[in-house]
Amino acid sequence: MARYGMLINTKKCVGCYACRIACQMKNHLEPTEAFIRYEERETGEYPSVYSEIIPLQCQHCEDAPCAAVCPTHATYITDSGVVLVDENKCIGCKYCMAACPYGARIVREETGVVEKCRFCWEDGKPGDPPACVGTCISGARVFGDLDDPASEVSKAIAEYNAQPIAGDLTKSKIFYVR
Amino acid sequence: MIWGPMIAWYLFLAGASAGAFLTAAFVEAKYPDSNKMRIAGRIIAPVFVGIGLLMLMLDAEAGLMNPLRFFYLISNPGSVMTLGVYFICIYMPVALVVALLEILKKKVPKWLTWIGIVFAFAVAAYTGFLLGVVKTFPLWNNAILPILFVVSALSAGLAATSLVGLVTDREKFEHMWLVKKSHVILSAVELVILFTMLVIVHTGSSAGAATVDSLIAGQYALPFWAGIILLGLVAPFLIEGYPVFITKRVETSTTSLVLSVIGESGVLIGGFLLRLLVVLAALPLVFV
Repeated sequence: MARYGMLINTKKCVGCYACRIACQMKNHLEPTEAFIRYEERETGEYPSVYSEIIPLQCQHCEDAPCAAVCPTHATYITDSGVVLVDENKCIGCKYCMAACPYGARIVREETGVVEKCRFCWEDGKPGDPPACVGTCISGARVFGDLDDPASEVSKAIAEYNAQPIAGDLTKSKIFYVR
Repeated sequence: MIWGPMIAWYLFLAGASAGAFLTAAFVEAKYPDSNKMRIAGRIIAPVFVGIGLLMLMLDAEAGLMNPLRFFYLISNPGSVMTLGVYFICIYMPVALVVALLEILKKKVPKWLTWIGIVFAFAVAAYTGFLLGVVKTFPLWNNAILPILFVVSALSAGLAATSLVGLVTDREKFEHMWLVKKSHVILSAVELVILFTMLVIVHTGSSAGAATVDSLIAGQYALPFWAGIILLGLVAPFLIEGYPVFITKRVETSTTSLVLSVIGESGVLIGGFLLRLLVVLAALPLVFV
């Protein structure tokens, strides 16, 4: 069984926000709703100062705090490690939003259901590739099977020594190059 | 900010309901002839938690639009929210039956009162644990918050019941030294617990420090100092504490009645504001 994950290379990211737009289109979100958000900050010390843009979305954690607190089991983890929301079970209590350390969840205006990035999951499998990966103009995003050492994403993670955004906090499966 | 005033109302009403149930049980045991206080507590209990649950459902929009989904709430015992649902599933019917028996002037069996007592404590405590297990927010994620919520719940339930006792049966109420003493002590204890929590949250993390700063000297300073500290804790402590511990005499004057009403109402307002500010002011840890 595959174990899906992603690499995001912030050094390649130019901050064009195309991934967010592609995600909104793919998932039929309102213009005010987004599964991807950005943390922007300055790093380094004068005179070597950089502007860093960190795209954030559901990190598809193995120790997913959202799934742990969800009282209705609407949030669940597939065998392939993708964290999903069953919109027919969600009551919109927002407990998962409070528990998520990455602020990755939103309430859908139309339904009141809490949703988030699902790696463009459809018909029992993730997008090939997910919309954000397919649209990225600079190749900053790589998607694939983390358990397959020959996969593009595994090789990229090894090459760049990419790390989860918050260490081993939640065993997340999006790896960042910063 | 994820939750708002609706959730604060629920946390307050569920706590106050539990406190009122416990007050009624206490009054029944210690002052068997004080009917009005006991009846008041037993009726307030189901009414408050009922209104609170309504607030919860209004806030959970996806469930409100598809009410059958609320049945899924029992499916994850690992979630504190599901545990709370279990507690309420027992507490709510018990509180209702107790109120009904009281209204029908029938005797409430002791065992039923005891089940109610256990689950009233469970309900009051779970409202604190609900927030307490959320690691993202330092103001919530500490061991003191559930204790603070329990003490505040007892205090609010006592105040709501006392308010009715004060207006309908003042003669008897003024002689209930144990009730009055407990009330004063609860206010003092709550003040100490609140202080302890804020010190520890402030020291623990920068998000915690920013949260506490917003409460004591930032955008929430006015409701915090005027509402929670002065009106909700210090004023009731002084108003009730003076006759109980200093003059030690039964008050009969109208001035003292008015003061007592202010004190009890203050506890209720402070109790609600405590929940509201805990919900609103909490800032998340930033992991990025």
